[in-house]
Amino acid sequence: MVRSEEDQESCRKEALHLLGSPTQLSSLDPGPTVLVPARWGFSISTRSIVIVAALVLGAGCGPSANRYLLIEASLRAHDAKGADAIVQQAEKEYGDKSRVLYGMDRGMTLQLAGDYQQSNAVLEQAEDEVDRLYTRKIRTETLAFMTSDTALPYEGDPYEQVMINVLKALNYAVLGQWQDALVEVRRIDHRLNVLSDRTKEKNAYRDDGFARYLSGILYESTGDVNNAFIAYRNAYEIFDGSRSWSHTGVPSQLRTDLLRTAEAMHLTQEFTEYQRLFPETRWESSQTLQQLAHVVVISYNGRAPHKEDQFLDLPISLDALQLVLLNRGFSQASGHSNRPVDTVLYGLNGRVVRVALPQLIRQKTQVPLDTVNLVSDNGSRATMNTELVQNVTALADKALSERMAGITVKALARAATKFALAEGATRGAQQAAGKDAAPWVGLLVGMVTKGLAVASEEADKRSWQTLPDEIHLARAWVPPGHYQVQGRQVGGPQDPLKPETLRTISLGAGETAILIQRVMP
Amino acid sequence: MIEMDRGRIGIVALAVLLLAGCGQETKITRVDSGVVTDLSGRWNDTDSRIVAESMVKEALEYPWLNNFSGANHRQPVVVVGTIQNNSHEHINVDTFVADLERELTNSQKVTFVAGKGDREELRTERKEQAMYAREDTQKAPGKEIGADYMMKGTIATILDEAEGTKAVFYQIDLQMVDLESNAKVWFGQKKIKKVVEKKRSIF
Repeated sequence: MVRSEEDQESCRKEALHLLGSPTQLSSLDPGPTVLVPARWGFSISTRSIVIVAALVLGAGCGPSANRYLLIEASLRAHDAKGADAIVQQAEKEYGDKSRVLYGMDRGMTLQLAGDYQQSNAVLEQAEDEVDRLYTRKIRTETLAFMTSDTALPYEGDPYEQVMINVLKALNYAVLGQWQDALVEVRRIDHRLNVLSDRTKEKNAYRDDGFARYLSGILYESTGDVNNAFIAYRNAYEIFDGSRSWSHTGVPSQLRTDLLRTAEAMHLTQEFTEYQRLFPETRWESSQTLQQLAHVVVISYNGRAPHKEDQFLDLPISLDALQLVLLNRGFSQASGHSNRPVDTVLYGLNGRVVRVALPQLIRQKTQVPLDTVNLVSDNGSRATMNTELVQNVTALADKALSERMAGITVKALARAATKFALAEGATRGAQQAAGKDAAPWVGLLVGMVTKGLAVASEEADKRSWQTLPDEIHLARAWVPPGHYQVQGRQVGGPQDPLKPETLRTISLGAGETAILIQRVMP
Repeated sequence: MIEMDRGRIGIVALAVLLLAGCGQETKITRVDSGVVTDLSGRWNDTDSRIVAESMVKEALEYPWLNNFSGANHRQPVVVVGTIQNNSHEHINVDTFVADLERELTNSQKVTFVAGKGDREELRTERKEQAMYAREDTQKAPGKEIGADYMMKGTIATILDEAEGTKAVFYQIDLQMVDLESNAKVWFGQKKIKKVVEKKRSIF
């Protein structure tokens, strides 16, 4: 009896070893065949177990990668409508748990396709869903604990939730519905206020420079200079305070905006302070600009990062685990020890568990700068150079690293529980099978349940992937009239597919036009 | 025999699975339009109705109407200007403005004339009549009634939220401005406060 358990143990280790190569292993990847010692007179293939488990648990995770590749290909070919059709057709694949993600992905592709109203409709649904998901369902949480985080409804990272409102504000502004755009601006403000109240840590994502800056631009476009100044000031402080991790400096345009609005509001003290801070900055007064038309270029450059599984086979040793948790500062944060988890961990001391953690794969854009030319009817030309205002990859990085400690602990506890259950099932089956058959029944059940435990282990790799890698912005004031808009990317690879992106806009004095473009890769 | 039993059990199980959850997919109940239905905590029909009711009451109660009728021996003519939405929601202000116009018009104390958007459409129609309609049915331009007052207003919200509890405060201000002197002859105000509580977890 003792010997057979030893055999079992070595067999399991072998299976784990073979399954658990350190490179990522998709759950659809069939495992190799493992032979049970011939003494028992039969052999079993783990392949079938893994395939069955993969079909049951991994359903739906395969196509998502393809979906984003197709969307990307369409965007590269400047076929935003095609990209939108791909998202729309995949609505069922997203499933009930990813309603928010569907709304986000589709809201972006619809905006790029120029269907701003529909984009707002789906984004509004996504926002409502985010509100609903504030209330967590214990049932779902438990299920997710037993299987994987992908069973949880996706509510988006805080920066993604803010981007929902940012996109809506832009949609309304492009449609000329300025009052509605300002409603979104107020929602951004409220969302960020709640977020910063909730986030205690100073160096975390608790406010959004770009969202604040855009709010200021929209306020100023509607003539509300006072609110615009406040938004610009907030944006400046956030850009300045978070540059260490956001990799986004204070846009030089924002400096001129601060000086202009401070002067227009007759805020002498603030004005002199900003003049002292930016002595080099040249700016024009509000009165001068009132006679001109205002053009804002928003450029979405590149692709947002995606997430992949990172599998770790960890020996369960309490000492090592404590050390890891201590290093991460988790033990102190939680205070009292988590008894149920500890018990499970003690029971499994000395075994190996597999955990899947999400890993961010960056896809940096190769376009450092966009240039947009406005050519007027009489041939005069205004050149606008965009500046980085939002580094989405940095935000995703920050969001994931903030959640990583929690994800890791949860994944470890989950893996341990799964193995404890598998162990329990094995022992139970052995007893039920009676004395003679017990060893091989135990082995069989053990392999099935542990195979399931391994196969169902999957990190939550969902994220808003139709977002760009970086968002760039440029503002200019031009004399009223008709203009042809020509876009050009500096330093990026020449894109032979790019059609002559000629658009014509006509602008009156005091009017604002918002131009949105997507630049790949 | 055993095979048959198994089959029967299978069918019963399938039936139970299929039926479960079919019962209450969509349920519709007709209710009176006066019933308060607070579902999400956002601006809804009840808010719009409450605002319209209180504004109508205030508009008819205060002396500006009688002052005007007494001095000019006719009903004041009012045009609806912009109702500015300064709130956190995409509020449709047309519903309560329509309620307000209806009540005031039906009370025979105020005449409303078409606002800016409607006027364009009406003028286009008159221009087309001038070209295409029979002469004796054509409506001549230059006969519009100039308004005495313009009704303007704002909807503002103040939001406060922490730990799933949200306090929403709506303030709706309407004012009647004399188009000749810019004097404000009437102020209507309604405040609504709601507290929305969301549970962090449910079973």
